[in-house]
Amino acid sequence: MGEALIETDGLTRRFGALAAVNGVSLAFETGRVHAVIGPNGAGKSTFLNLLSGELRATSGRVLLRGEDVTRASPDRLSRLGVGRAYQTANLFPEISSGDCVWLAAQSRLPSSMLFFRPAERYPQVGVRAARALEACGLSQRRSAIAGQLSYGEQRQLEIAMVLATDPSLLLLDEPLAGLGHDEALRIVALMREVAKGRTVILVEHDMDAVFSISDTVTVLVDGRVLVTGAPDEIRNSAAVRDAYLGGEVA
Amino acid sequence: MRRQALLLAAAAALAAVAFSGDRFWLQFLGKAMIGCILAIGLDLLVGFTGMVSLAHSAFFGLAAYALALLTNRLGLVNPLVTLPACIAFAAAAALVIGWLSLRATGVYFIMVTLAFTQMLYYLFNDSPALGGSDGLYVQARPVDSRVAAYVVIWLALIAVYLVLSRVLRAPYGRVLEGIRGNEQRMRSLGYPTRRYKLVAFVIAGATAGVAGYLDATLYGFVNPAQLGWRQSGLILVTVLLGGKGTLYGPAFGALLLAFIEHYGEKVTEHWNALIAALVIAVVLFLPRGLAGLLQGRPRG
Repeated sequence: MGEALIETDGLTRRFGALAAVNGVSLAFETGRVHAVIGPNGAGKSTFLNLLSGELRATSGRVLLRGEDVTRASPDRLSRLGVGRAYQTANLFPEISSGDCVWLAAQSRLPSSMLFFRPAERYPQVGVRAARALEACGLSQRRSAIAGQLSYGEQRQLEIAMVLATDPSLLLLDEPLAGLGHDEALRIVALMREVAKGRTVILVEHDMDAVFSISDTVTVLVDGRVLVTGAPDEIRNSAAVRDAYLGGEVA
Repeated sequence: MRRQALLLAAAAALAAVAFSGDRFWLQFLGKAMIGCILAIGLDLLVGFTGMVSLAHSAFFGLAAYALALLTNRLGLVNPLVTLPACIAFAAAAALVIGWLSLRATGVYFIMVTLAFTQMLYYLFNDSPALGGSDGLYVQARPVDSRVAAYVVIWLALIAVYLVLSRVLRAPYGRVLEGIRGNEQRMRSLGYPTRRYKLVAFVIAGATAGVAGYLDATLYGFVNPAQLGWRQSGLILVTVLLGGKGTLYGPAFGALLLAFIEHYGEKVTEHWNALIAALVIAVVLFLPRGLAGLLQGRPRG
């Protein structure tokens, strides 16, 4: 086991009587791609929302580099290096994709309480934004309005925005959902690229993609961890097949 | 280009009026320019940040009352002292009211700003020491001559416009537009959005304070109605009529409303109905307001 970048300890989130995430204790190793899979309603998105600060845990803890961040706000977590990409594109639909990524890159200035010098005269922001656009293959589309991009391009932009914040931990929520075959291939290639030197937590339904890019896979069922293991172990586990993969095929 | 030419022409025309020395026009356009400052300041919140505040009139009124109380009670008149003091007072009030109101969002935010405004209205309306429903006279005006007051108002309008334009082009302004577009995403990108919104609220409050100070200087009089929410509603209408999110649009909206009010009054006592009809027409046919007439496509 390498060192864990982020760990959860008995993490629980209840919605009324339902425990969407129920006593989850997991360690995500630095530099690895760790997928979290499970049937619909298993609590995967809730789990990501707890890690990104968008939901508060009912009980349990989240430790980032050993520091307790269970009650940290989304903006604080972002500044600590937790980057979140959303399942349904969560962009600034009315501005250009270049400006969307600019906003993301600008968030790495020590503060944006800067009132006088025009924004474009902060070259470090421009460079960072251009690099993220380039990495996601969107350089040619930087003047297109975000809301008018194709579905696949919006996913690319979604990832470009997170990359521009230079996260050490990347939370990817179903980056392939709803994409056609070719678009999905492009995003998988992009994920491989961005995973280099980063820790990635991937929630995804596309099993081929999950097994091909992940170093570790956790299966979540009814808010609990069923099993965690290498992709091969998970693929060949009878329990997993019963609880999840079998159901998916049928 | 067309927009800049129009702005320069309007600024020059307003400046030229100062040389006419005409009593009526100095008073009328002075008042109208104060309306421009109010509308531009509110546009920072409504148009650029997506926050609808009904407290704008409160900061206007507080600065006006602050001037009346400073001159009447403490004998402070010098504008180099009273102007910064009154703006600071309005800004401080905006800091407190904004800090409390921004715990709410959307329609609840609107209601909280409305509640604070009405609280202040009744505070002044019901306090004999603060002039009660009659209001207060400013016993010594910081700027005495009509022409000088007009010039000061003109300078203030230009200054507020230029400063806000500058701020909006800076990184801070981009954050505001990001908040308007998708506040939740801004938080997830690392921006503590409430802090940015509070600063915008304070800046807007300070500009309303400038307007309030100038109004009390121009008329030598302040009353509680200026502070009430109807006044805020009217400024909001001005912003929408002119075209939110443009700064210059709301300024033209304010000028237009001033003219309609003046000439409408001569035609019919129901001139408010004219304004209502105009507002409905603009909302239906010119969703980007008067400014939409000057723009090719929506701004990015």
